Amino acid sequence: MTEVSIERLTKVFGSSRAVDGISLRIADGEFISLLGPSGCGKTTTLKMIAGFEPVSDGAIRFDGSDVVNVPAEKRDIGMVFQNYALFPHMTVAQNLAFGLEMRKVAKPEMEERIARVLDMVQLGGYAERYPNQLSGGQQQRVALARALVIEPRILLLDEPLANLDAKLREEMRVFIRDLQRRVGITTVYVTHDQAEAMTMSDRVVVMFGGRIAQMGAPADIYEKPETLEVAEFVGQVNLIKGRVTSVDAGEAQISTVFGTVAVPDRGIARPNMTATLALRPEALDLAAAGEPGAAGRITARYYSGSLVDFRVALSSGEELHVQTFPNARYSEGDDVTVRAPLDAFWLIGAAQ
Amino acid sequence: MSAKRGAGIARPWLLMVPAVALLLIFLVIPYINIVLMSFRTPGTGTPYGVGFTIDNYLRFFSDSFYLFQVFNTLWIGALTTALCLIIGFPVAWQLARGDMRFRGLAYGLVLSPLLVGIVIRSYGWTILLGNAGLINRTLQALGIIDSPLPLMYNALGITIALVHVFLPFMILPIMAAIQGVDPSLESAARSLGASRFTAFRRIILPLSMPGIQAGCILVFVLSLSAYVTPSLIGGLRVKTMAVTVVDALIDTFQWPWGSALALMLSVTGAVCVLIFARLTRMKWKVARS
Ligand SMILES: Nc1ncnc2c1ncn2[C@@H]1O[C@H](COP(=O)(O)OP(=O)(O)OP(=O)(O)O)[C@@H](O)[C@H]1O
Ligand SMILES: [Mg+2]
Repeated sequence: MTEVSIERLTKVFGSSRAVDGISLRIADGEFISLLGPSGCGKTTTLKMIAGFEPVSDGAIRFDGSDVVNVPAEKRDIGMVFQNYALFPHMTVAQNLAFGLEMRKVAKPEMEERIARVLDMVQLGGYAERYPNQLSGGQQQRVALARALVIEPRILLLDEPLANLDAKLREEMRVFIRDLQRRVGITTVYVTHDQAEAMTMSDRVVVMFGGRIAQMGAPADIYEKPETLEVAEFVGQVNLIKGRVTSVDAGEAQISTVFGTVAVPDRGIARPNMTATLALRPEALDLAAAGEPGAAGRITARYYSGSLVDFRVALSSGEELHVQTFPNARYSEGDDVTVRAPLDAFWLIGAAQ
Repeated sequence: MSAKRGAGIARPWLLMVPAVALLLIFLVIPYINIVLMSFRTPGTGTPYGVGFTIDNYLRFFSDSFYLFQVFNTLWIGALTTALCLIIGFPVAWQLARGDMRFRGLAYGLVLSPLLVGIVIRSYGWTILLGNAGLINRTLQALGIIDSPLPLMYNALGITIALVHVFLPFMILPIMAAIQGVDPSLESAARSLGASRFTAFRRIILPLSMPGIQAGCILVFVLSLSAYVTPSLIGGLRVKTMAVTVVDALIDTFQWPWGSALALMLSVTGAVCVLIFARLTRMKWKVARS
């Protein structure tokens, strides 16, 4: 299939840079998510790949050949829109046939392919329905089928699940992911939902203000975010202060209320600096007061079924957010000890 | 939720009472009156005589002059409609999808004919189209023609003026329909391999059909019933049915005859509209679960 390579891609609207020099290589068959807050340039990037938005600067290559000047209809792309964009005056079968007619596929093959793809999205009996006779989830699958039936080089999806309810959204996540694996098509998926990006993608590209903040496997993004911005965007995060005691061979020893932790110094830590360390709420655990760890008192407790969220005020003055399984039988006002595994910390910043 | 909705609009037909009452009083009752009138005998000194007759209709169908006039009226209506559609569609497209900056100005220009009274507009056209009118004099002065072109007192002149008068009625519904078409449908078509033109032909055009249909029916019906413009520009030479009907009613005071003529115009017009609506019927609009 197709490898996509994007180099210093830029889009300028008037005086603002909606996409600001992003470079990215998407391997053949890879599932990539563009993740970022509203207005960070995800849709604009996707539109430039699709050919709906002229490129201000930079290059887009499919398998090495530059497509910047290739019109949208010649790029051989399957696109799924947030609002599905099904043709309301055509039946499901006609919607799927449209792209095949444009490719002058012969009638028997066309029917065969439409039937096969409709089966794949589990809409076998719906060929003669009009879009307004389908539920939101079914329309979503028709949109997916319409994009896939032309067997495009690349599949682009722009927040395709945003209009579905929570339950269906989770089902469709898995459905799209499995389908993509089976078909093996290079896929770019746009979302501002971090859970969606994490579950579905091989790699997540986090964007802020038209630039790539970080890209990598979902686990890397979540566990080793490079900036506080990224850390906060992909999940909840606790910040604690510590003092750098020594730096050696790329590793900094930092003394904290949890004891001395060793973290990669990332070239920013010097001895005697005040360091900011981050750690995820679910990495923390509670124990009875007096146990080894950081002493504190529970200020709030939120029960959510599978998990319980605690707010703990440490005696050092810092406020921590702790997430545990519901078998932790502590309540508001209890004195507790917060325990943290020493490898759960990472360095966010350091200053004199 | 459903209980609340049920209580809120328990008697939805109540909301229709004003409209139904208006229709009944100002349309249905007069119409019944006209139908009755068309079967009456002519009277002398009274609107109609004693008893009923079908003579009015026999007279209509036996005189090819009137049949021809109906045909002529329908023809002018159809031509006006077609020209309005051809001229109006690109304007509607620009208004719906064009550059934002010029939209206000264009909108004003489109509506401007409606802001000037119809009599004034039609007189304006007589000034332009007459034998000693602006167009002919300019062409003569430039030496392009020797004798004046016959622009007035014929079907062409009437059609030109009607197109001008009724253009907004074509543009506005089409514009609304195009605005209702999601622009991402066009992107979807393009991504599936359709050129701009194919996307327009296969997606935008059929989806703006309800507006085209509404605009065509409006302009056609308005053209058939137009009186001021055809009587000013057609003069005594070319008469449309509406003009003949008014002649019969007002000038010669033949109410039964005039009613029969008016009804024949209505019936043929309605048949044309029905055929048109049937031909342009949208299956996808009907198919709702
Ligand atoms: N046609 C346009 N003209 C001017 N500015 C635009 C245009 N399209 C997008 N922008 C701007 O470019 C920036 C990026 O827009 P984009 O639609 O790519 O954001 P996004 O990441 O998709 O956001 P969302 O999650 O809300 O869809 C925004 O600040 C937006 O206002
Ligand atoms: Mg977007």
